[in-house]
Amino acid sequence: MNEPATIDERALAPARAPTLRMQGIRKSFFGVEVLHGVDFSVDRGEVMGLCGENGAGKSTLMKILAGIHEQDAGTVEVKGTRVPAGANPREMQALGVSMIHQELNLLDELTVAQNIFLCREPRGRSGLIDFRRMNEAAAAQLEKLGEKIDPRRKVRELKIAQKQMVEIAKATSFDVGLLILDEPTAVLTGKETRILFDLIASLSARGISMVYISHRLKEIGDVCHRVTVLRDGHLVATRKVSEVTPHEIATLMVGREVKDTRAADFSGDPAAVVLEARGVSDGLLKDVSFQVRKGEILGFAGLVGAGRTEVMEILFGIRKPRTGTVLVDGAQVTVRNAMDAIRAGLGFVTEDRKDTGLVLCRDISENANYVRWQKTGGFFKGKRRTANASRRMIERLRIRCQGANQLVSSLSGGNQQKVALAKWLMAGAKVLILDEPTRGVDVGARQEIYDIIRELAAEGVGVVVVSSDLPEVLSVCQRVLVMHEGRITGELAASEMTEAKIMYCATDVRAGGEHGDA
Amino acid sequence: METLEVGAESRPWNDLARRVWREYSILVVFATIIAVCGIVAPRFLGFGNISAVLLNASIVGIIALGMTFVVIGGGIDLSSGPVLATAAAALVQLQRMTHPDGSAVVPLPVAILACVAVAVAFGFVNGMLITKALLPPFIVTLAVGIIARSLVMYFCRGATIMGNDFPQFLGNETLFRLPIPFVILVVLAVAFHVLLTRSKFGSYVFAVGGNENAARYSGIKVDRIRVVTYMLVGLCTAIAAIIEVSRMQAVAAATQGYLYEFEAITAVVVGGTSLSGGRGRIIGTVVGCIILGIVSNMMIMLNISPYLAGAVKGAVILFAVLLQRRER
Repeated sequence: MNEPATIDERALAPARAPTLRMQGIRKSFFGVEVLHGVDFSVDRGEVMGLCGENGAGKSTLMKILAGIHEQDAGTVEVKGTRVPAGANPREMQALGVSMIHQELNLLDELTVAQNIFLCREPRGRSGLIDFRRMNEAAAAQLEKLGEKIDPRRKVRELKIAQKQMVEIAKATSFDVGLLILDEPTAVLTGKETRILFDLIASLSARGISMVYISHRLKEIGDVCHRVTVLRDGHLVATRKVSEVTPHEIATLMVGREVKDTRAADFSGDPAAVVLEARGVSDGLLKDVSFQVRKGEILGFAGLVGAGRTEVMEILFGIRKPRTGTVLVDGAQVTVRNAMDAIRAGLGFVTEDRKDTGLVLCRDISENANYVRWQKTGGFFKGKRRTANASRRMIERLRIRCQGANQLVSSLSGGNQQKVALAKWLMAGAKVLILDEPTRGVDVGARQEIYDIIRELAAEGVGVVVVSSDLPEVLSVCQRVLVMHEGRITGELAASEMTEAKIMYCATDVRAGGEHGDA
Repeated sequence: METLEVGAESRPWNDLARRVWREYSILVVFATIIAVCGIVAPRFLGFGNISAVLLNASIVGIIALGMTFVVIGGGIDLSSGPVLATAAAALVQLQRMTHPDGSAVVPLPVAILACVAVAVAFGFVNGMLITKALLPPFIVTLAVGIIARSLVMYFCRGATIMGNDFPQFLGNETLFRLPIPFVILVVLAVAFHVLLTRSKFGSYVFAVGGNENAARYSGIKVDRIRVVTYMLVGLCTAIAAIIEVSRMQAVAAATQGYLYEFEAITAVVVGGTSLSGGRGRIIGTVVGCIILGIVSNMMIMLNISPYLAGAVKGAVILFAVLLQRRER
């Protein structure tokens, strides 16, 4: 990986006004202050990390900067000039501030070039859009980023990393001075992430400042010069990354010491196999076989696209395997749909809770009971039993809410994830599959979810954790299987696990292929 | 979103007020409309008039109850009007067949069952085409509606067919001084409210409309739930058809049930059910169809040209939807 421009370079020109200076920013929603006078500044060419738990005020601060919200008090200066209060996103863009949202804001049915030049298409003499000129300009913009995407392709056909490049090309096609990147690596594979980091370094060298928001603290250390931590709407600290460890950042975010634990080896009965897959294959997967024991926490590591989610979808009847059998408690089961899997005793907390996990417009109680209701007979829900069961689950999982009738959409990411978990705990699953269980979950709730996973295993549930977050695998899983391009390429017990060993199995280093990652 | 949560926590009264408004805004609007109408046209509040309004709102109201389930489940049914005509025609055709001695060939209960079967079968076909052939509900029900209208025209040769002394009490008499169709609407509304809010099926309908994928991953039989909602609106349509036959003693092939589907959908939307699915209430639908009935009634009271009825109804829809949008 390229080293980003070093801090010393910028130290040579300390007299210059910083690209961004926000001072005393206050913001209230519905009479409650969520930012209590935050100062935030970014120097020219600097990559500033921005960390904080969900609800700490990161996104509110950035939305003020991007012109989406207006601050109640405080000033924003871009390149030394004061931004008038109430500037809209378009005006902020004209001032050189662009934001790349986590959920990319591209129009799928338009071409790459049309997206880049949306609403400012070059026009010919007739007043119609000059497509040739537009495509050339778009290609030039992409070229500058070292990206070769045909500007005439529809965005729908692009891979997610390419879409992100298009977003960046769009942002840099304005005379951009400050780029806000909101969790840009959440959807990228390892290789794509490295490309993005190189790009960030080169943009930084061109003098473009960036704000880099991420929950992945290690990345902050890799790509940023300084890091600012927010907690409960206050600025807690701004540090040079060279002087702070990811662990210290986490501690600053939570405001208390975060334990870095390592999982121990599985100590239960190795013969008590609760779930077994034998020779599962399809277009992508090649002869995937494994066993999960009662009370064991088994990890599935690997790069995005290695086939881990696909394995889980086959187990759960969402996807059809070409060959292979699944055994639960030693008996072969036929799984044609989710209900068959549920009947066999499986539970599946999916990767994307907004898409496949939760019905956001319904309350906690409903969401937590969907599976239980199907397992118990009867036409009616049973108001009291449902309410009691929900209340117990809310207490057990420490779901922070106003009550079981609160809509799931108004919960924070961590609490939403707990509701997704509650659904399966209520149904009494024998095997629980968790796909990226802490994606978009803040540090505090993350620990609670790990504790719940450990409790479940202690109660005898077989737990499968699919995770791309290696520290997570290391701290939770008693054994890990590593996948690469549809195959299981490695198996490690907790005592022999290291990030390096997992990455070794997850990449082509070992497989000997020439493709990095899918 | 995160801030909303904080705001709600620290301001219980504000939150309560907002919740009351969200839950009962339709009733506030309803009361206001009645008050305004009473002031503008005092005759409006007369018992006879109110009773007429309720009677006129009942048939579409009953269809709208089933429609509420379909819409909450993320669908729509544009075939209800023609299906009502077809089911009514089946009922009358069977009922009026007599032996030479004047006795019925088909006993009345059997004719009624056939009427229900026809409407529910159309619902089943709608549901199967939508879930198994994966076609959009809008197109499927539009096409099925056109087919149903054509079939009824064919079987009645485009004419109006008369019943043979069909029992009149269902459509034309009163119970506790209330028109029987309205009593039926209220009874059905209570039953459907319980079904929607207390039964597992009701919750699954919300889940399917709110997030189909999540419902499927939770093991809910999404297709089956969908099909049942269409059959439910079929059942409601059959009940409406029986009442209509009882009232009119005849079925006009070309015009019976004309635009009922749109009136039912309008009542559902005015009643606060979201057309994108996952949100809605039965009580809202009942109030919604009474509001529409009041609008028609006031047009007559105030001597406004019937040609302007559409303009006023359209404005009411826009106003109702606007009101609901602001709350979010």
